Amino acid sequence: MKVLELTHVNKIYNSTEVKVHAVNEVTLDFMEAEFTCIVGPSGSGKTTLLNLIGGLDMPTSGEIVIGGTNLSKLKSSQLIDFRLNNIGFVFQSYNLIPVLTSLENVEFILLLQKKTKAERQQRAIELLTQVGLGDKLHKRPGELSGGEQQRVAVARALASRPRFILADEPTANLDTKSTENLLEIMEKLNHEESMTFIFSTHDARVVNKAHRVITIEDGGVKSDLVQQPH
Amino acid sequence: MKEEFKIAWRNLWRNRRRTLITSASVFFAVFFAVIMRSYQLGSYDHMINNFIESFTGSLQVQHEKYQDNPLLDYSFDYTDSTEAAILGVEDVVSVTPHLESFTLVSSGTLTKGVAVIAIDPVREKNFSDPETKLVKYRITEDAVKGLNDSGTVPEDVLEKVKGNLGRAYSSLARLELELDLDNDDGERFIPEILKWTEVPNGYLAQDDDGILVSDRLASYLKVGVGDSVILMGQGYHGVSANGIFPVRGIIKMPSPDIDNKLIIMTIPAAQKFFDAEGKITSLVVNLTDQSNRLIKTAKSRINLLLKDKSITARTWYELNPILYQQIQGDSQSGVAMLGILYFIIFFGIFGTVLMMVSERKREFGVLVAIGMQRNKLKRIVTTEMMLLGAIGLVFGLLASVPLIMYFHYFPIILKGDLANMMEDWGWDAVMPTAWFGPYFYWQAVVVGLMVVLATIYPLRKIGRLKEIEALKG
Ligand SMILES: Nc1ncnc2c1ncn2[C@@H]1O[C@H](COP(=O)(O)OP(=O)(O)O)[C@@H](O)[C@H]1O
Repeated sequence: MKVLELTHVNKIYNSTEVKVHAVNEVTLDFMEAEFTCIVGPSGSGKTTLLNLIGGLDMPTSGEIVIGGTNLSKLKSSQLIDFRLNNIGFVFQSYNLIPVLTSLENVEFILLLQKKTKAERQQRAIELLTQVGLGDKLHKRPGELSGGEQQRVAVARALASRPRFILADEPTANLDTKSTENLLEIMEKLNHEESMTFIFSTHDARVVNKAHRVITIEDGGVKSDLVQQPH
Repeated sequence: MKEEFKIAWRNLWRNRRRTLITSASVFFAVFFAVIMRSYQLGSYDHMINNFIESFTGSLQVQHEKYQDNPLLDYSFDYTDSTEAAILGVEDVVSVTPHLESFTLVSSGTLTKGVAVIAIDPVREKNFSDPETKLVKYRITEDAVKGLNDSGTVPEDVLEKVKGNLGRAYSSLARLELELDLDNDDGERFIPEILKWTEVPNGYLAQDDDGILVSDRLASYLKVGVGDSVILMGQGYHGVSANGIFPVRGIIKMPSPDIDNKLIIMTIPAAQKFFDAEGKITSLVVNLTDQSNRLIKTAKSRINLLLKDKSITARTWYELNPILYQQIQGDSQSGVAMLGILYFIIFFGIFGTVLMMVSERKREFGVLVAIGMQRNKLKRIVTTEMMLLGAIGLVFGLLASVPLIMYFHYFPIILKGDLANMMEDWGWDAVMPTAWFGPYFYWQAVVVGLMVVLATIYPLRKIGRLKEIEALKG
């Protein structure tokens, strides 16, 4: 099943003196339960593409359709609700609300979805246990390592039962061990929960773990390959 | 809602030091403002009450032209029925008639222009009570000499008596205060001192044809109790007024200005002297309390009763516009000072808000990105800001409560010349705080407004927040 469809998507920045074609005629499909990595050198347009897919930014032209909904048809506040219920986000760093514990951070997104207290707690504990943080439910982000914080962010992204999870360079600030650990967890969740992951990186070790690798250069898709993770 | 509050509360303590400093600044501003206002308003009230009680009364009924032209020609007919009607008005406690004018007084070759106030000797006791101002003791050369010759008091006590030579006293308490003897000496020698300083004096009988003369005037005219003086002047509608009046008593007026030129007589005597049969110049009305609202209501009720439309009731502040303006001016400068204080505090709060917004820009971006509506985020930030203001406000108000209560019941006692003057007038030389009133709640309004103003900025920031820009940090 198709979860996400991009057709002739362009993003042109006019703000500076030179026109920047950050995303150039991108047409892509993503299927359910894919584990996709978007690679490319710095400045190639990965972040811009992920922002467009995540509904955080609007394309200059082209269409992005998620589960039948064309993002450009939504008003600003509708878009926020759409993101809440359809897309899970993991950012590079400082994902979490610093004054809330791991448990509260994961519960928070369910609270935004107006889930009951019991439901929130059950799901949050379950997911934090799955990402290996069952013993750190009541720790605040400041008391967790960078890798642990990213795991909480993944748990939170998953908690809202989105159609897919977007992660823009989620391992950029992690050491080798934490990077491996986070990817293992993402892969496990991809497998166990059939969750679609789309993440970007410029780290070859991370690329190796992906099932599908899309290479971007100068805003355009240079290659789109399915591989055996190694 | 509960969750929003929880997040707001925890956010507040993310930077504990900054929150404490901001709250402390609000706390001190509120505390200072409340205490200062309470003292200011309390002393105005005290002053106004004293003033009303001994001079103007809450209201006066006068001829409408009397205020600008205090002439006998602008007197009016005074009847028992007018008085009864006014007494019947709600909250009126007493009605005291006055007939006031000017005349010349002479004794021997000495002549002087004086003010004449004609009163009802009995009813005046409820108001300015001249009887308490009668001179009872006087330290004269003769008294000191007699005391010295009697040899009954030691040298140091005698020195103290001499130190007050020429002074006259209306009360024993005042004499004791000024002699400043220690307890033992006081008990032993005061009776002896009184023996030499006590002077005969008398008050006016109901239909007395005699007068009371103020102390300084009496010494200028060289008259005492039992002597007579001649009054000459102009009566009602320009008739000439002349008469001889026996001096019944000497009164000591605290204000030297008044003490130099005051004569008090009964209303019937004055009416006869000025050929103003049945007339008075003003009717002093006293109310149960001096709130502006009460005074205004009583004024309009009395005006409704008065059939002659040229007779009108005036409030104490219409009668004394200058005093009223002074109080207003003083009060306004107090308010202006607090305005400046709060203005400074506002920038403290605003600085905190600026820092808060710039530190949390990325966090706001993440929250909106993952699906939090801007309005919800605005509510959290607003709650946070309100808590920030409320902490200082609540503690500031709470801290001021015991002080205001204490100094309301146990006011600060004034010392020095001002205090002496106040005591001479028969006032308590104290500075009480005003009981809790609008000034107290106003601090909450001011702090609330500051918070609202300071909150506009982050709310606008959140409203215009662009997710991808905020996420860049
Ligand atoms: N807001 C913007 N205004 C102008 N140019 C931008 C903006 N954001 C990104 N770009 C440009 O678009 C290109 C792609 O950037 P980005 O998507 O951040 O690449 P990557 O994530 O692969 O490093 C770069 O040349 C960058 O300078």
